[in-house]
Amino acid sequence: MADIKTKNHVLLHVALISFTLLAIYPVLWVLALAFSGQQSVGLIDLPKDPSFLERFRGILPVPAHWSVKNFVEVWTEQDFGRWMWNSVVVSLMTTVLGVFLACTAAYAFSRFRFPGRNVGMLMFLISQMFPGTLMLIPLFIIIVKWLGLGNTYTGLVIVYATTAIPFCVWMLKGYFDTIPYDIEESALIDGASRLTIFWRIILPLAKPAIAITALFSFMTAWNEFILASIFMESEANYTAPVGLRFFVGGFSSQWGYFAAGSVIISLPVVALFLQLQKYLISGLTAGSIK
Amino acid sequence: MNFAEHLKRSAMLGLGISTLITLSLSTWIFRAEESDLRLQQRQRLAVMHANSIALAVANTNPDETGKRVRQIQKLEPRIESVIIVGGMQLVASTRAEDAAPRQLKHDEKALFDLSNQIRSARETNRGEDIVRKKTIQIEENPVGHIVVTVPYLSNGQFEGILQMKFNMTGSDISGPAIFNPAPDSFTLPLLFLLASVLAGALFRMSPERKVDFTKFFALGVFLLIALLFQNQRLDRLKQSMAQADQAIAANYLTAAEQYDRLGFLALPRDDTSANLWDTDHYQRPLGLIAKNGSILTGTQAAYFDKRSGFLKRILGAADLLGVIVLLFFLYGYAARTYAALKEHADAYTYVAPAMIGMLVLVFFPFVYGIALSFTDTTLFNEFLPFQDRLIGWANFKAILGDFNLYEHTANGIIWNYQNFYWTLLVTVAWTISNVTIGVSVGFLLAMALNTEGLRGKAIYRVILILPWAIPNYISALVWRGMFHPQFGVINQVLQMFGMQPVAWFDGVFSSFLTGVATNGWLSFPFMMVVILGALQSIPKPMYEAAEVEGANAWQRLRYITLPLLKPTLIPAIVLSVVWTFNMFNIIFLVSGGEPGGANEILITKAYKIAFENYQYAYAAAYSTVIFMILLVYGVFQTRITKATESF
Repeated sequence: MADIKTKNHVLLHVALISFTLLAIYPVLWVLALAFSGQQSVGLIDLPKDPSFLERFRGILPVPAHWSVKNFVEVWTEQDFGRWMWNSVVVSLMTTVLGVFLACTAAYAFSRFRFPGRNVGMLMFLISQMFPGTLMLIPLFIIIVKWLGLGNTYTGLVIVYATTAIPFCVWMLKGYFDTIPYDIEESALIDGASRLTIFWRIILPLAKPAIAITALFSFMTAWNEFILASIFMESEANYTAPVGLRFFVGGFSSQWGYFAAGSVIISLPVVALFLQLQKYLISGLTAGSIK
Repeated sequence: MNFAEHLKRSAMLGLGISTLITLSLSTWIFRAEESDLRLQQRQRLAVMHANSIALAVANTNPDETGKRVRQIQKLEPRIESVIIVGGMQLVASTRAEDAAPRQLKHDEKALFDLSNQIRSARETNRGEDIVRKKTIQIEENPVGHIVVTVPYLSNGQFEGILQMKFNMTGSDISGPAIFNPAPDSFTLPLLFLLASVLAGALFRMSPERKVDFTKFFALGVFLLIALLFQNQRLDRLKQSMAQADQAIAANYLTAAEQYDRLGFLALPRDDTSANLWDTDHYQRPLGLIAKNGSILTGTQAAYFDKRSGFLKRILGAADLLGVIVLLFFLYGYAARTYAALKEHADAYTYVAPAMIGMLVLVFFPFVYGIALSFTDTTLFNEFLPFQDRLIGWANFKAILGDFNLYEHTANGIIWNYQNFYWTLLVTVAWTISNVTIGVSVGFLLAMALNTEGLRGKAIYRVILILPWAIPNYISALVWRGMFHPQFGVINQVLQMFGMQPVAWFDGVFSSFLTGVATNGWLSFPFMMVVILGALQSIPKPMYEAAEVEGANAWQRLRYITLPLLKPTLIPAIVLSVVWTFNMFNIIFLVSGGEPGGANEILITKAYKIAFENYQYAYAAAYSTVIFMILLVYGVFQTRITKATESF
């Protein structure tokens, strides 16, 4: 019996390992490209009539020569540094604004019973169904034409922060609901104001949920490129995603810069994501379905 | 009496606020209308002059044409210049430096194109026997500098175009403005407002009584004031329009007399039929002025009625809004709202920032987008007033009513990739195949990782989750690189096994596959994680009991695992259907909808209509249709989920 089980596991491991290799191949490929020091989409130059082995060498995600040239040049010779800076500023401002808006609204939805509460929460849910392209043109008109906030951080930040609100509010509200009301009640009796309670008691207790909200707001801004490409007209104001597409979109094909840029942009979000994924999954399934 | 009590008893605030709203809205509507008319009448005068020159040179030889054009330009100081283009020739010009007649220069190709455009517009209109395309082109930039282009005919034949630059700025040349209503005075609306507030102060309501006539009186006062004000303004508008007609007629008479003196063909001055100089943009006589310069009052009244019909409807909406606000106050809702606001001041303060943000940047754009879908807004006419762009349901008819899905040709069936239903078909196929792949791969992996005693689970899990963690636009671009037809890794593998490389983005099906492969890669980790979580929560003893009872592996899967997975799996599938349906990035970045837009899904198609064709309104209508589809799906899926839950 035990023999069969081990044998089964060996087969399973073989299957899993091959699938895993297949699954992370694109990741390895980008890494190889980033460290290859060249711009072409192929990792090595193939001879005219390559043999099986030469072709196999061509698809192995190992660069012909290791080099950090792409990383250096993407910072020094391209505008990538500036684009990263734009992205960092926009994402951080979005995070701050998004967390502030979501915390206050979620606190009210969780703790107060007021006329319009249910309608408000329902409205937040329904807004998730609006197709992005329907909002794109009006947003463009409002932000760029009416408010004159094209090519500015502010325009992007307020749009990103409001887009992230519904999900954040639903998730935070769920978390606030789990904080027992007794704590607030005793503080109220002791004469603390609502604001003090919110600031001193609720927010510190809800730190894990706020961290997720912050992550989500940050990722919304960090990964978005459609609005950014429409609002930010001048090249100096591109965010990193718009800039990355600039490397390989249309007629340009600077795959080395693209790969190096991708690695730099992905690292922080992948690290954060792997750290916090457990909460994100529960938040996703709780917030959007119930 | 405190404020809440006051709100309940007195009609003063209600009447005041509703009157204020309606009067300001009406003033704003009239202002918009007046500025629209000012532009229209200004351009009408310019068109009249252009038409008159075109008629004066219609049947002469080129030399005479040049002479006449110069003479007319000297007579009328507002005409800055006139040029006539026929084919590739500059036939005549009032500017000496043009040295007409001569060949058009290379940088004057725009004139040649414009001439062709107007010729084809004329032919379209003649062929269809209805006017559809404008044969007069007007540009006004900056305000007062009008460029009018009309067809140039010779002996009834289309020869080319006549372009006139007309300058209506500057007091010495513009003379009295054509359309010139008296500037807004605030005395009248203020008086009306004061009257309504006073009347409101007199009315004391008694909420206890069932039928309270004070409410009817208040409503009556409001309607009386609103209608009086609007009618007064309508009269003023009518007068200003009549004055505009007279001003145009005076201009016409002056010019016509001058033409007579010079011996050009002017219009017969004893004729009371419609004036041929004064036309709309399709060169149809407006019929407001006769050939003898008199005003045709019948058409004038009809024209005003047509113009004011739409205006009255909007004014009616403003009245309705006022009535609603008034009733809101009269029936005590305002008092209740005030009380609620006061009682729950804390709560509303906390919600307000997020709510305002959502209203301004989510709900308002949504409503605006839907309103936009009933217009014909493009990049080129967005400066026009909203009412001029309204076209009703035409966009939706064009999208949903176009069944021209394929055509039979000698080479077999050719699909029309631009058709909505084709794109819908692709979107549905895209959604179904992606969700199927995501769920089945996720399920298999979750089952594998849930094997008891398997080593290295955590490592597999972390690596397999990577595709989800990487920003999806980066993954999409990476896959685009891997599908590169010449150097891409995937074609290298094909060639390694002796197969021919595939031009992935050239075939409809292969291009579709690139998207599915990329999205499958992106979406299996989510499903895997969700299913793994659900599997781990199934109690082990259930399997053990089943095994003891003699259930085989398939039966255990069928009767234990799947039913217990359902509550988790169904919401996850529902969610991923919506995500995939709207998955913009993958299609947009990997295949870009190639070849020829065949692989566009609805959302990317809407984007391209808006930002590559600049048909904003059409794209908005397209997006509204997408929203309706999602809404139907949402309602439908809640029903299904509820039905499955009850089992």
